[in-house]
Amino acid sequence: MARHLLFNLVQVLVVMGVAPLAKGVLVRLKERVQSRQGPSIFQPYRDLRKLLCKDEVVSEQSSWIFRFTPYIVFAAPIFVTLLIPVLTSYPLFFAFMGDMLGGGFILALAGFFAALAAVDTGNPYGAVGASRTRMVGFLAEPVFMMVFFTVSFDAGSTIPYIVQQVWVSPPSNFFSPSHVLVVLSFLMLIIAETGSIPVDNPSGHFELAMIDESKALEYSGRGAALMKWGGHMKFFVLMCIFLNVLVTPWGLAGSLHVTDLLMAIPLVLLKIFLFLLVLVVIESSLAKLRLFRITEFLTAAFITAVAAILTRLLL
Amino acid sequence: MVLIVMLVILAVTAGVCLIPTRSRVFAPGITVLGAVAILALATHVALTAAAGSKVVAIRDWVSCDGFGALILLLVAYVGLGTAIFSWGHMKGPDGADGALRLRRYYCLHNLFLLAMLAVVTLAQISLVWIALEFTTLASVFLVSFEKTPKAFEAAWKYAILTTMGAILALFGILLLYWGMHQAGGGLFTWDGLTAAMPKMPAGILETAFILILVGLGSKAGMAPLHSWLPDAYSQAPVPVCVLLSLVETATIPYVIFRLWPGFAGPVGAYTGSWLVFFGLVSAGVAAFLLIQVKELKRLFAFSTIEHLGIILVAAGLGGAAAASSAAYQMVTHIITKSFCFFAVGAALLVIKNQRIESIQGLVRSFPLAGVALLLGALAVSGAPPFAVFLSEFSVLKVGLSQSQYLAVGLLVLFVGISFCAIMFHHSRMVFGRPLVPANRPAVPVSYLAPLLLTALPMALLWIYMPGALADLLRLVGALLGR
Amino acid sequence: MPADVFHSTVTQLNALMGGFFLLSCFAMVATRQILACLKIFVVQSIFLAASACLLGSLHTSWHLFEVAMITVASKVILIPWLLRRSISHDIYARREVSQVFNIPTSLLMALALALFAFFLARPLLPRLAGPSWVNLPIGLLGLFIGAFVVAARREAIPQVIGILAMENGVFLAGIAIASSLPLIAELAAALDALVVTLVFGLLASRIHSHVGTTTVGDLATLKEE
Repeated sequence: MARHLLFNLVQVLVVMGVAPLAKGVLVRLKERVQSRQGPSIFQPYRDLRKLLCKDEVVSEQSSWIFRFTPYIVFAAPIFVTLLIPVLTSYPLFFAFMGDMLGGGFILALAGFFAALAAVDTGNPYGAVGASRTRMVGFLAEPVFMMVFFTVSFDAGSTIPYIVQQVWVSPPSNFFSPSHVLVVLSFLMLIIAETGSIPVDNPSGHFELAMIDESKALEYSGRGAALMKWGGHMKFFVLMCIFLNVLVTPWGLAGSLHVTDLLMAIPLVLLKIFLFLLVLVVIESSLAKLRLFRITEFLTAAFITAVAAILTRLLL
Repeated sequence: MVLIVMLVILAVTAGVCLIPTRSRVFAPGITVLGAVAILALATHVALTAAAGSKVVAIRDWVSCDGFGALILLLVAYVGLGTAIFSWGHMKGPDGADGALRLRRYYCLHNLFLLAMLAVVTLAQISLVWIALEFTTLASVFLVSFEKTPKAFEAAWKYAILTTMGAILALFGILLLYWGMHQAGGGLFTWDGLTAAMPKMPAGILETAFILILVGLGSKAGMAPLHSWLPDAYSQAPVPVCVLLSLVETATIPYVIFRLWPGFAGPVGAYTGSWLVFFGLVSAGVAAFLLIQVKELKRLFAFSTIEHLGIILVAAGLGGAAAASSAAYQMVTHIITKSFCFFAVGAALLVIKNQRIESIQGLVRSFPLAGVALLLGALAVSGAPPFAVFLSEFSVLKVGLSQSQYLAVGLLVLFVGISFCAIMFHHSRMVFGRPLVPANRPAVPVSYLAPLLLTALPMALLWIYMPGALADLLRLVGALLGR
Repeated sequence: MPADVFHSTVTQLNALMGGFFLLSCFAMVATRQILACLKIFVVQSIFLAASACLLGSLHTSWHLFEVAMITVASKVILIPWLLRRSISHDIYARREVSQVFNIPTSLLMALALALFAFFLARPLLPRLAGPSWVNLPIGLLGLFIGAFVVAARREAIPQVIGILAMENGVFLAGIAIASSLPLIAELAAALDALVVTLVFGLLASRIHSHVGTTTVGDLATLKEE
């Protein structure tokens, strides 16, 4: 029992600590693919430290939402980390407090507050970005639901630990058409939710074209650090759900020994690194979509998810 | 052996037509000679089959029984008519380019006839489907012969919709093959399939039948998939219209009805009711569209759809008598429709465009065309003393004897409406003061011969049916009746 | 490899090919450019040939391998070459294909058609035991979505590709349910697909030279009025 609680805390610490590293590796890989030098992979840590030491400037017209949101955005992925398998394949202490739908709602709560905060200051670019983020968000919700329904159907439950044991663990399931379609659909969802190409350009500085970056436009100092860190952690958490529940639930700690847990950490990092390679290939070979083509992109993701559940149910 | 000779003759004439020669008479002449030979051989086959024996060239691959011989004879007869008519009617533009286009026309004409003959003589069902596809492919460029934008539009619609229908039918045929394997296997020929069909699971039979009916029906112009038909007819040259009619009301119903005897029991009632349903819908749609038609060839196109509906209803009623009357309707309709179209071709010598309101007093300005058109209209809308009346009457009689009062009543209503519509339009065209001054042109032999060729059976069948024809019809009834 | 492991692996891979085929059907509805449509058709034919090879290795008959080779030769090599030759390049370079519905609506309608196809195939499935159970419903789906592509596009070449996609769907079902058709029938069907492409390509190029455009959906002059 105490061991479970300890492992849960270790999981949270790993996510908090490694999330900026994942982002740094992604940025560096993308730059290298484009034949540039790229920043060091530890640059996000340096940015966070710099921002935490700086003063905050807060608009007088903003309300408590603006001041409160960075904490919500920072805390939400941590709550989700408590619920999903990151290092272990058996349920931990907080595992039954919420299922995948609950995790999705918590992340949506953070997004909701971020959108409100972007509108709160009266900056027009913030409002534009917030409306675009909401458009992407509401189109992505049905895809989330469909994917979760598909994978939960076999397991009879929406707790990710149980789903993971039933969904892919028999390796013969790996090539079944519904599995491939779910993986494809969730990949498109990750791209949309974390603001990668082809939905949004994460390294752009042009406010008129920002979708996901706009939520952190007005923040400075500690608020900016928490928003950035929260964004990195959300990306990491989505990757963990994708890899550890849907695609490759292997390599996680199976028993209560500490050594197993410590061995699981590099394996999880390896899986994340391979996924980042795939993401870099996708990002470098596609162009950013025009705004209203994003609806087509997300409709295609929805159709893929529905096709997955159709092939599972009717075939 | 005879069958293979027929196919080879047509293939050879198609190839020979393409040889560039100085004279413009070579290609049409070869076509007519080939058509005469085909007719002679087809008569021989028909007489053999009417006596009761099946004509077999290659066992299980090329053969022809009573039903096939009937359609073979029809194709050959009408083919000769169109060959002679094309000689006089098809005059391409001057110059080497025009000569090339004409040669291509005759080549495609022969290929079209070859494909139709192949449908009837091949015994393997998958090859029959391919032959049906080839009828469409050979006729696409015939429909777009005039090379106007409207002609291309009509040809494109025709090609796309009929190919889609053919692929649907292919799926149905593959389902039948699968069912045959589940029932024990055997060769995938007409005989093998008919023997195996009573043992096939009902679900497969029903799904396959619906797919084949809808797919081949769209090729035949069955409503509600008929939208390409009036456009194709209005843009195609007159001989091509005759050939299209032949394919739709003779060859394609042949394929659909060949499957018919296999459906026995409850599946038979299901499939029969679908046939009657689609037949009534076609007849009804055609009847109402005939009221508001504005162009001459479109009028006859809708009449074709209506007669297709009557044929489908006749077959759907089930039984040997119904099958015989369906076959009889096929025979009388195509002869009469060819006569109508040849009359339209003759009328086109004096009228400039096809809009009905611009034609008047044809009987005074060009008596031959006027009289022929009027007689053809009377005949095709089912008035006595023409053969179509007899065949429609026999269909209605069969329906009444089976107590299908609703179907018969609706059919009588639709036939009546179309009769009134056709006669209304034609009486306006033929009688009255002529809008064009009388300039009776000399009618070439190539126009008269096909008119006579088709008028004779049309009139004579009222009083005398040749023994061989009656035998063939009876054989059809025995083959298809359940 | 022991027989049952081989059997189950091949079954899984065949199901995977079926899944990719389904995805390519939807992708054909979702593309805008003519060239992309053609490439998706080529990819679809490759999945069809792969499924034929897998089922052939399972039944250990050369027949299905021959079918796969015929498919590759005609649909992957010859037909795209014919289609590209028959129309000039500026048609292919155009970015937007005019469609009747916008893409999300088309995708949702394609989904409804997929549901309909699965519903139709349901009563037939119990008879189709064994590794090829996935081919019949997905083949039927390919048939319906191909028909939808023909109906929902206004350009000539995507309509032709839609018809060829319909035939792909029929063949995917055919290799499962009618795998022992005589070879001459398969050859004739492949030849028929080639001739269909030739005829349509020739007609489309003639339309282009005589009418000036290949947007055949705009040719709507023949009506009752």
